Amino acid sequence: MDDAPVVELIDVSKVYQMKAGDVVALNHVNFSVKRGEFVAIMGPSGSGKSTLMNMIGCLDVPTSGTIKINGVSTTDMTDDELTEHRLNTIGFIFQKFNLISLLTAYENVEYPLILKYGQRDHSERVKKLLTMVGFTEDRMQHTPYELSGGQQQRVSIARALANDPTFLLCDEPTGNLDSKMSTQIMEILSDLHKQGRTLVMVTHNPETAEYADRVIVIRDGEIVAEE
Amino acid sequence: MIVSLALRNLKLNKFRTILSMIGIVIGVFAICAMGMVSAGFTDEMNNMISDTADTLTLSPLGEKVVGGATAVGFSEKDIRNIESATKSVTKGYDLVPYYSSQKPVTIGKEMTFASVYGLDSNDMSRLVTLVSGTWPKGGTNVIVGEQFAEDNDLRIGSRISFLGINGQEITCRVVGIMENTGMLTFGISTDSAVLGTTEWYTSIVGNNHGLYDSIIIKAQDPLELSAIDAAIEKKMNGKEDKDSDNTVMIINSYELMDIFDELMNMSSLFTTIISAISLLVAAVAITNVMLMSVKERTREVGILRSIGTYRSQILQMFLYEAGLIGLIGSVLGVVMALIVSPIFMMIMGLEFTAMFSVSVLSYVPLGVAVGLVVCLISGLYPAWKAANLNPVEAMSTD
Repeated sequence: MDDAPVVELIDVSKVYQMKAGDVVALNHVNFSVKRGEFVAIMGPSGSGKSTLMNMIGCLDVPTSGTIKINGVSTTDMTDDELTEHRLNTIGFIFQKFNLISLLTAYENVEYPLILKYGQRDHSERVKKLLTMVGFTEDRMQHTPYELSGGQQQRVSIARALANDPTFLLCDEPTGNLDSKMSTQIMEILSDLHKQGRTLVMVTHNPETAEYADRVIVIRDGEIVAEE
Repeated sequence: MIVSLALRNLKLNKFRTILSMIGIVIGVFAICAMGMVSAGFTDEMNNMISDTADTLTLSPLGEKVVGGATAVGFSEKDIRNIESATKSVTKGYDLVPYYSSQKPVTIGKEMTFASVYGLDSNDMSRLVTLVSGTWPKGGTNVIVGEQFAEDNDLRIGSRISFLGINGQEITCRVVGIMENTGMLTFGISTDSAVLGTTEWYTSIVGNNHGLYDSIIIKAQDPLELSAIDAAIEKKMNGKEDKDSDNTVMIINSYELMDIFDELMNMSSLFTTIISAISLLVAAVAITNVMLMSVKERTREVGILRSIGTYRSQILQMFLYEAGLIGLIGSVLGVVMALIVSPIFMMIMGLEFTAMFSVSVLSYVPLGVAVGLVVCLISGLYPAWKAANLNPVEAMSTD
């Protein structure tokens, strides 16, 4: 199993049925991500990279073809099984941070642990993760509104790591940040990769893509380059 | 965490939460207050009259000429006729004729009025219950009602005196205390009663030319009362008779109870309908508030779903919210009802202690349960809607 790709796409197509006619968002896409790799998926908006990300993130399933996460196809999974994958296998990092505004930074990171284990964290894991992304103890009790964009993205990285996922899925992680913040966030992600984490990152920014081992360029639902 | 999210959202939208809660508070309050007051009232009524719900009370109508004088009452012949009519229906009955009137009575130096009754000493135990002492067997021995004894500081062995028919003072000895029957009763009301033998009564009031003032018929099976009633009516009032034309007025306590029960049922149906309407309004308000909450939090639901929250947990979260509104709202409603109901009860002339009966207090859990269930049902559709949002679409809304 260790040799099996973390993410494997086999002939994946996604067709949205609209009143004005079918829209092909992905057209027979094939690629795979191995354990420990840092892969960037690049493309302009409307290229299908969001659709691709949603399917790798188990938020959506392909119309045809197969997506295997850890060697298991998602096509016939029930909603609960897809949810379980999102909880345990995938760590999401979003462009808009997507923290829960009602919860503090600490609670946001603790939330996936509670979902998984059904109880609050007593292992100091939340504190360790937040310290790792550069949080001081008193800052942990702040709500997202009281934090800057860069700080929010750090919290969301810590949250993504909470359940020790198989891979991190980053959707334009620096899209809402200035260049200084962007560099800091990319350094953190790069460090995680050096520690052996598997990362899949969707971006349209060539600068951030440079941190990746491999860049897949997608346009009009098809892979046009791989380097 | 799911519970705490629900709690925090309610706190965040405090004003909206309170507004939606008011609906359920009023609904539960209406149910409980009306229910409690009507239960208290029914209890009190049942206490007053249930003991005598198995009796026919016969009162004489029309004057008779007896020994040259006119008088009203039941003659021995009337009683024989009434008894034979009763016997034609059932063997399980008690028939007690008695004398009654109001007389002044002197207790110590005070003078007051009492209802005095005279009946055969063998019949006494059929109509009243002794709480202490013995039955009067003759002479000037009497028994008095519990309330009368309390009001006038009487106990067994106390003396009370009446003016006899010849103007002499007759001192009587209290030998027993009768159980209270309440004021609203058919036949003998013991509350202000002095009761003695026929001979004793005759010595104080006279014997009304040998005519009894009332007859009480008790049936072992209350369902037979109507048939007995009809038989007596037919025998006594239906036929032309020189002495007794329309001689009897009959009060059937069982039928009165029926009418009373029906009235109480109608009034409780009425209050139930009003309460149901107010709860329906509350339910609509809560559904509306919950739908707004779902719409506002669509993005949050999308985030929660995308990072691994199950559908059932989202459903739970919104149901917790609705349930919390319901629980707090209905507890408030019940508390308000507990404060207001006794005031209404006292206005209606009930004792404060009427609050503490089982049938009144059963509205406490009932009110909370109804409020909670109504809220959960109202929250079900919004919660279901939230749980079935598409995470991707939900996250992209702002």
